[in-house]
Amino acid sequence: MSERFELPAELNIYGALETRDALLAWVAENNVQGSDSLEICARNVQEVDGSGLQLLASLSNMGQSWRLTDPSDAFSDACRTLGFGDWLEGRPARGKPAGASK
Amino acid sequence: MSDDADLDFIAAAMPAFISEAAEQIEAIETLLLELEEQPDNRELLDSLFRCAHTVKGSAGIFGLNRVVEFTHHVETLLDKMRDGVIALKPEISTLLLQCNDQIKFLVDTAADENADTPDQKDARADLVIRLKALTEPGASIAPVADKGGAVAAPAVADAAGPAGQPALSIWSISARFGPETFRNGMDPLSIARYLGTLGKIVKVRCAVDTLPPLGNLDPETCYLSFAMELETGASREDIEGAFSFVMDDCELDVTAPETAGQKMARAIEDMPETPRLGELLVSVGAVTQDKLQQVLSTQQQTRGMPSVDKPKLGDLLESQAGVAPEVVAAALGKQQKIRDSAPSEERYIRVQADRLDAVINLLGELVIAGAGATLLARGSRQVALVEANLHMNSLIEEIRNGTLGLRMVPVGETFSRFRRVVRDTAASLGKEVNFEIVGGDAELDKSMVEKIADPLMHLVRNSLDHGLEPPQERVAAGKPAAGKLVLSARHETGAILIRIEDDGRGINRDRVLQRAWNRGLVENGVVPSDDEINMLIFEPGFSTAEQVTNLSGRGVGMDVVRRNIEALRGSIRLNNNVGKGLQVDIRLPLTLAIIDGFLVGVGKSKFVLPLEAVVEVIESGGSHVKVDERGRHCLELRGAVLPVVRLRTLYSVESSLPERVSVVVVNSTRGQYGIEVEVLLGQNQTVIKPLGRLFKTLRGISGSSILGSGEVALILDVNSLAELTTGAQTGSGAATSLNTSVSS
Repeated sequence: MSERFELPAELNIYGALETRDALLAWVAENNVQGSDSLEICARNVQEVDGSGLQLLASLSNMGQSWRLTDPSDAFSDACRTLGFGDWLEGRPARGKPAGASK
Repeated sequence: MSDDADLDFIAAAMPAFISEAAEQIEAIETLLLELEEQPDNRELLDSLFRCAHTVKGSAGIFGLNRVVEFTHHVETLLDKMRDGVIALKPEISTLLLQCNDQIKFLVDTAADENADTPDQKDARADLVIRLKALTEPGASIAPVADKGGAVAAPAVADAAGPAGQPALSIWSISARFGPETFRNGMDPLSIARYLGTLGKIVKVRCAVDTLPPLGNLDPETCYLSFAMELETGASREDIEGAFSFVMDDCELDVTAPETAGQKMARAIEDMPETPRLGELLVSVGAVTQDKLQQVLSTQQQTRGMPSVDKPKLGDLLESQAGVAPEVVAAALGKQQKIRDSAPSEERYIRVQADRLDAVINLLGELVIAGAGATLLARGSRQVALVEANLHMNSLIEEIRNGTLGLRMVPVGETFSRFRRVVRDTAASLGKEVNFEIVGGDAELDKSMVEKIADPLMHLVRNSLDHGLEPPQERVAAGKPAAGKLVLSARHETGAILIRIEDDGRGINRDRVLQRAWNRGLVENGVVPSDDEINMLIFEPGFSTAEQVTNLSGRGVGMDVVRRNIEALRGSIRLNNNVGKGLQVDIRLPLTLAIIDGFLVGVGKSKFVLPLEAVVEVIESGGSHVKVDERGRHCLELRGAVLPVVRLRTLYSVESSLPERVSVVVVNSTRGQYGIEVEVLLGQNQTVIKPLGRLFKTLRGISGSSILGSGEVALILDVNSLAELTTGAQTGSGAATSLNTSVSS
């Protein structure tokens, strides 16, 4: 498994469950490998809705640090609209440390 | 959910949408007309906006894009009106009425693409252009003077730019979406996007703290909430409108850039329910608890004073505690609203009319069966059985009243439909009319209301067309230029009286008579009484209209009006005042189905009198009283002369007259009179059955009923019976022998 996670073209409610499971599996794998900062690539995203962004926000709350790369226009636009503009700056998005959420 | 299921759902819900939209559209019309009379009434404007918004919103759900698109323009105009940018002028009101017609058309033809002809499209495009001319920036719009009070003035008006355009202001919006948001097919992202179209998003933050870690996240549950600052000229309703479909489970807080006073006023508005003025003000921080106590004790000291001199708490708070007047006004307004809305929390169930009819039919049978059972119970002479039966009958009576009450609707709903007709008709005739509705809350059976609407409409048009004169003619006659038309309704002994009254020229007696002679309705040279001349306008083939307007050319004559009203067991009377006006009185029974009757006997025949009409019963001499050939005589009742009609003679009932008879004194439109009968059989619930065709011509009888014993009783119509006996008409029609018909 690569250190890059490719977000699907349709990052919306219809695939939310699958995307979450894929993300979880990928995060688990990388944690085992001891990766520090993970990359999530949004170049393929064409459709995105609130539930899709919620997944990524939730990932931050796991204490997992990640970085957005190569966002598509649709994805960038959605992030800005809903107030996730920070992700677009390419800095690692880091939520609360894992311990704090437990 | 599959598309098919969606389509099925929409198809199934469509009729409900159309009927609801129709109600909204009707309300829009009524509100517009009311608003014309009270242009400063903010509540009306708000309701108007809500109605239009509801139509648009629900049309959106059903994908009726034409409705949404068009209504959106109307909504924009209404919104500007609410912001005080545009004042309601007659032209605007006319435009809005036309737009409303267009919305109605679009809703009615929602399912039919073909109904939207190029002509309709042109008309619609034209309306949109006119709407846009009013609403688009750049159009010359005179800023409206700020007539409303501090509360009525919208927040943005304070910040309004010099051109009357609302200045941009920064709204804070915070929204916490409910967990079901995604599953309901809604998306906070699209809402945020929509908000972006209203203006410029200055700042937006999505709160992520409430999100569970990914492992615990149910991806289909919405945990999102955002806080946004939006720079826009849009109104609060526009902003809140973005959330209209998630409103149910969304915590929304929209804060306008307001002055401190307005903020408090808004906080009061938004409070759930806080009944006391002082508490209201304390809770928003407009006054401290201590200060309030102080003011309250001041008020306490004035307790003995008469209420007019007593200072009001609101005034005291203003003068002593220094609370801003606008804050007090808002608090008082809120209090009033709570009071107003408390009792009006009514809930309705829609019931199909034919189900209700079926129940009422059964009820009729139940009443007859109940009467039969009572008869048997009495015959059995078993006290317990009679008692049980009495109890059952009183229950039946309650059910009857309750069930008939279900069908009663206020007649005002029909009346208010005429506002538009009057307005448009008067405009097309170049006349000015003040239209008044009095007693619109009088109730009438629903089926009656439906059937009376057309005749009423015709009479109203007739008054406008022929009764009221053009303004210059009125001025010349020494009347105010604007004519008056009053439509009123009130209850009157078991009937409803609907009166259409104008102050026009009245009926020209000579012209009517001339026309009647020409048409052969009256023999040449014969001059009937004034009343009869007036009634000639209801004869088939009569019309004195000098010019055929598009109103009188509708093919519905006054004769049809009379026929329709008589078919409802009603009567119509004219009260003509030449040069001063005309009164048309329509009397209608309250219901078509069942009445409380008073059963009397003459010979072997049974008659039912409507119980409401009965005043008292007295004894009188029998065979030795002299009566004329129409059964009329008089008796003295407490020093007054009471005309009495003897049914036996009037209807030629064959049997021997007993020594003493009873006289039932009844109320009629022509005053009190007596009806001489031989046997009193008491109160009785009477299910009205229409008379057969053969007996339709019988005067003084309005219907028949089947008694518990299976006998037939005739129901007397006290008003036509009075006319029959006191009027100058020949009574030949009445002197038909009833024996054959009744003893069948």
